Amino acid sequence: MAQDTAHVGAGPATKRPEVVRAKESPVVDPEQVIRAITAIDGGPRVLKLYMEMCARCGTCASQCPVYYGKAEKKYNPVERSDLIRDIYKKHCTTTGKLLGALVGARDYRDGELEAWAEHFYTCTGCRRCATYCPMGIDNSVIARKGRAILEAAGMTPDTMQKVVRISLETGNTDGASPEAFKAAIEFLEEEMKEEHGVDIKIPVDVVGADYFYVPPSGDVLVNPEATTGVAKVFYALGLQDRWTMSSHYFDGANYGLFTGNDADMKADNKPYVEEAKRLGCKVLFMGECGHAYRIMKMMMEPARWWGDLPFTIMNCMEFTAEQIKAGKLQFDKSKNPQPVTYHDPCNFGRSCDIVEEPRIILKASCQDFREMYPNRGENWCCGGGGGLSAMDDIHEFRMTVSGVKKMEQVRATGAKYVAAACSNCKRQLAQLMEYYKEDIAVGGVHDMLSRSILINGKAAKRVDYT
Amino acid sequence: MDAFALLVGGILPYLTVVVFLVGMGYRFRAWFKAPQPGKMTLFPAPDSTAGGVLAETLFFPSLFKGDKVLWSFAWIFHATLALVFLGHIRVFTGLVDRILMAVGMSADNIGVMSATAGGVAGVVLLGTGLLLLIRRLTIQRVREISRVPDFFALLLLIAIIGTGDLMRFGPHFDLEQTRVWARSLLAFSPDVPRNGLFLVHALFAMLLIIYVPFSKILHFGGIFFTQTLVKRS
Ligand code: HEM
Ligand code: SF4
Ligand code: SF4
Repeated sequence: MAQDTAHVGAGPATKRPEVVRAKESPVVDPEQVIRAITAIDGGPRVLKLYMEMCARCGTCASQCPVYYGKAEKKYNPVERSDLIRDIYKKHCTTTGKLLGALVGARDYRDGELEAWAEHFYTCTGCRRCATYCPMGIDNSVIARKGRAILEAAGMTPDTMQKVVRISLETGNTDGASPEAFKAAIEFLEEEMKEEHGVDIKIPVDVVGADYFYVPPSGDVLVNPEATTGVAKVFYALGLQDRWTMSSHYFDGANYGLFTGNDADMKADNKPYVEEAKRLGCKVLFMGECGHAYRIMKMMMEPARWWGDLPFTIMNCMEFTAEQIKAGKLQFDKSKNPQPVTYHDPCNFGRSCDIVEEPRIILKASCQDFREMYPNRGENWCCGGGGGLSAMDDIHEFRMTVSGVKKMEQVRATGAKYVAAACSNCKRQLAQLMEYYKEDIAVGGVHDMLSRSILINGKAAKRVDYT
Repeated sequence: MDAFALLVGGILPYLTVVVFLVGMGYRFRAWFKAPQPGKMTLFPAPDSTAGGVLAETLFFPSLFKGDKVLWSFAWIFHATLALVFLGHIRVFTGLVDRILMAVGMSADNIGVMSATAGGVAGVVLLGTGLLLLIRRLTIQRVREISRVPDFFALLLLIAIIGTGDLMRFGPHFDLEQTRVWARSLLAFSPDVPRNGLFLVHALFAMLLIIYVPFSKILHFGGIFFTQTLVKRS
């Protein structure tokens, strides 16, 4: 079930599907590209400022995981952003119009989108540069603009395009049918029965439930322990029949964020909001998926894409951490004796400030929790952000360039398990461990909880998780 | 009055003021007008209350976390630049001297104080300006993204500081000349100092001021906009 999807997870040998590239590139209208760039002159304001106020001080490059992995000019964030900035200068700034090449301004060159397709998909969108830039410039916003231009020209890399298409057609990025989903859920319920000897339910399509759980589909189909963890939390709290999943909408992943296509992003988002309304839930309960939560909490809700919402939006880690703090959950830490570290997914850390919650859960459920440095909002990207993790055609780049720093960071902790609350991070991390032949397991946060939480006084029977 | 002096001391100042004000007004207006559909929250969120933006403006904390070496060059550079700006009030009006005398300082003491503070500031500014330039030339990740305007801004600045320092440490330059000049400009009948070094210094300085609204030196304006966009929601 896992093959050929965006969320092949922590399992061993990860399959690498053949890369299919469009043989003939679509005909690109240069005017269309130039129009998209000159439109920045009228806003959004941040993007306009990013075009005009870079001090060219090089700080971003020293903080970028890609440039860290390989200090090549084409990986310098400023160089990448200049692809758009130089054309903007030519058309929209006084000096650019008057002095042209002398100030770096230039016009769009026919056929260059081909190269853009490579360059704009070497930024992981991690926003680390923005954290340190003296001007607050977020190069990922410029890269996303570049991707939007590629998208409009029909030149989004096939791997990305495919994920978006599947998601819009089926409601989830794995392309799984409701039947397949229900079968997977039944399987998980059986597993939990074996582990604990009691019936721990994963309710599906229950109208009137309080919590509507939306994980990334990988957390049901590929690395389901995060979902069993959530189910056990509800069971332990006696909220077994107060939550539900949807057999049609069980994947918060939304690749419109990554292709730069706002219309797709909204089209992919809307059914989830409608499903939440249909189910009449009080809380849209997002799973361990950084970008899904970011889109819901930081974009959709404040920008009121769909007006007033009859529910609140919460992340499952916030909920569980609260319950732990309130002393409502008990654990047998000896079930997780190995050293465990936490990788802050960029979308949870820098973009949503969900940083303490996963630590509370991991410290409660593991014997030996170790920090990785730097961490929280300053953590380094796994190297697969911005959707890159799903792109098998750039596997080599992700392993030998963008993921280099992460591998060093993980090694330095001496951990035997890296937890990451994100399917994309998990996929990239697992591939890194395989590539560098490290014997380090990769998984989610609730996964660790699932192995050690006490249900009726007892932790799960299974001991060997390798 | 020879043509160069008239041009630099009699015409350029007016042009500078007009171009600078119009240019700045135009840029700020364009920034204000551009809509911003949403915030760009980034955690740990820089505090974008007025105080937070002020702190970012005065101490560059993001840069401090990012690159301590550049931070020290840039911070000392900017702090000294600010000092020198203030110092120039004394260059153009006798008001500061009169206030200082009113609180009991002698003309000699004022001279010594200004020579020391101004001299140190001038040397530090030149030093950090050169360090920024050297950094640009030697560090690969900065060198590869440096272009003509980046060098132009720094070289022009170094030229201004250099000529300023030459006046400070060279033959005595009587500030009465610049004060007369400033007054005469306000009265629209320019009385231009004949000191060649001064004219070159003033020329470079006005070129820089004219250049500001059209270049990345305007970074100090935009920072208010970017910082206020990353506030906590
Ligand atoms: C508000 C906070 C500010 C920050 C964070 C900031 C940051 C920087 C940085 C990092 C540089 C070094 C660029 C390089 O590597 O060459 C620089 C240069 C410079 N800054 Fe600022 N600056 C600020 C405010 C100002 C202000 C208020 C002025 C006054 C006019 C100013 C004038 C300059 C000049 C003239 C240069 C050198 C020319 C250049 O490289 O652009 N800056 N600034
Ligand atoms: S850190 Fe910011 S100002 Fe400096 S070069 Fe990078 S984007 Fe430009
Ligand atoms: S968003 Fe991340 S990958 Fe992209 S330029 Fe910035 S630091 Fe580099």
